Amino acid sequence: MAWEKFNPNLAAHDLVQDMKWDPKLREEFKRNEAAVLDRYKLMPEERKAIEERDFRTLYDLGMHPYLGGQLSRFIWGNDAGKGAVEASNKLVASLQGHSRDIPNT
Amino acid sequence: MGQIVFAAGAPHAPAIVGLFDRAPADSQKVVKDTYTAITQELKAAQPDVLIVFANDHLANSRITLYPDFLIGTAAQHSGPHEWFQEWIGCRDYSAKGNPDVAKALFQGMTRRGIRMSSREENLKFDDNISVPVVMTDLDRTEITLVPVLQNCTVPPFPSPEKCYEVGTALRDFIEKDLPKDMRVALFGSGGLSHEPGGVKYYKIDEEFDRAFLDLCVKGDHKELLKEITVERLEEAGIGGTAELLSWFPVMAAIGERPGRSFGYTGWPSFRCGVGGVIWDLEAKQ
Repeated sequence: MAWEKFNPNLAAHDLVQDMKWDPKLREEFKRNEAAVLDRYKLMPEERKAIEERDFRTLYDLGMHPYLGGQLSRFIWGNDAGKGAVEASNKLVASLQGHSRDIPNT
Repeated sequence: MGQIVFAAGAPHAPAIVGLFDRAPADSQKVVKDTYTAITQELKAAQPDVLIVFANDHLANSRITLYPDFLIGTAAQHSGPHEWFQEWIGCRDYSAKGNPDVAKALFQGMTRRGIRMSSREENLKFDDNISVPVVMTDLDRTEITLVPVLQNCTVPPFPSPEKCYEVGTALRDFIEKDLPKDMRVALFGSGGLSHEPGGVKYYKIDEEFDRAFLDLCVKGDHKELLKEITVERLEEAGIGGTAELLSWFPVMAAIGERPGRSFGYTGWPSFRCGVGGVIWDLEAKQ
């Protein structure tokens, strides 16, 4: 991964930024993800990648990795001790192209 | 004429707070020794104001309109921002701001040809400001805080040379624009090697980290600028290691001086190399 794929136009960036700033939106995302995604001008492949938790594709489309990391925490957990660790395990597994939770090191 | 009385750089990795109790003893010792020395020497220097350069992790501005240096001019700086509380696992704080110095900095840097931005509302702080504030108990002192949130992650971000130029202007600002006898502390918050959200999330580049700390301790800025390029920073962890650019304005402001570091740890669960430097302001340039 390098910056040559980075695309600051992706609507997924706004989705992550908005969820960081709005607890109600985070709650809605958990309850009815599709309704939240409907409100963003996501490209079809961008939306599909979010729905399938396919971070490799999201990054290939140009998602900023820091916001990708935060998206993984909205999905899998954010607390220091457990949730955030699980989120980063699953994120890295997705980026490495396998389904195991524990990343290759 | 203001005077720089303290200068340091250290990481703000959230895990040094949230996972501290689970870390091996030698890693705990590095965190403790580094931040104990910073806390003691910062307080002993009796600064009126602490200016912290720390990267913004896309918490305050849209990626489509992203400032390179954002000064917080609020009278109080509270944090961490709501979503980051459970992630860092730190207590709440409210540090005293310094609107006069913050606004003078904005004007002073503008007059010196350095583009900065400013915001009066309480900025949203994640680990960038929260970790150094709670580790030093800054909010329990009389020291006022001026945060400068820096773009180290949205390309194209300011280069090492540009950040150095910012620090040179900062020194001129402190010397010429601040009130006589004002005591100023400087802190660069960020690094060491890490790749948050990237495929190398769990990799730490110990060789880079140790070389960087050595360069900071040595205080040879020509060598620093030659060795530490954007390419080298990114090689050591995309989107994370470049946070070390927040140390550059501090180093440029104090000039070429040696420093002390307090050990290094690359414990993987910190997901970030950890080590800091306090510069010796008594040493001759």
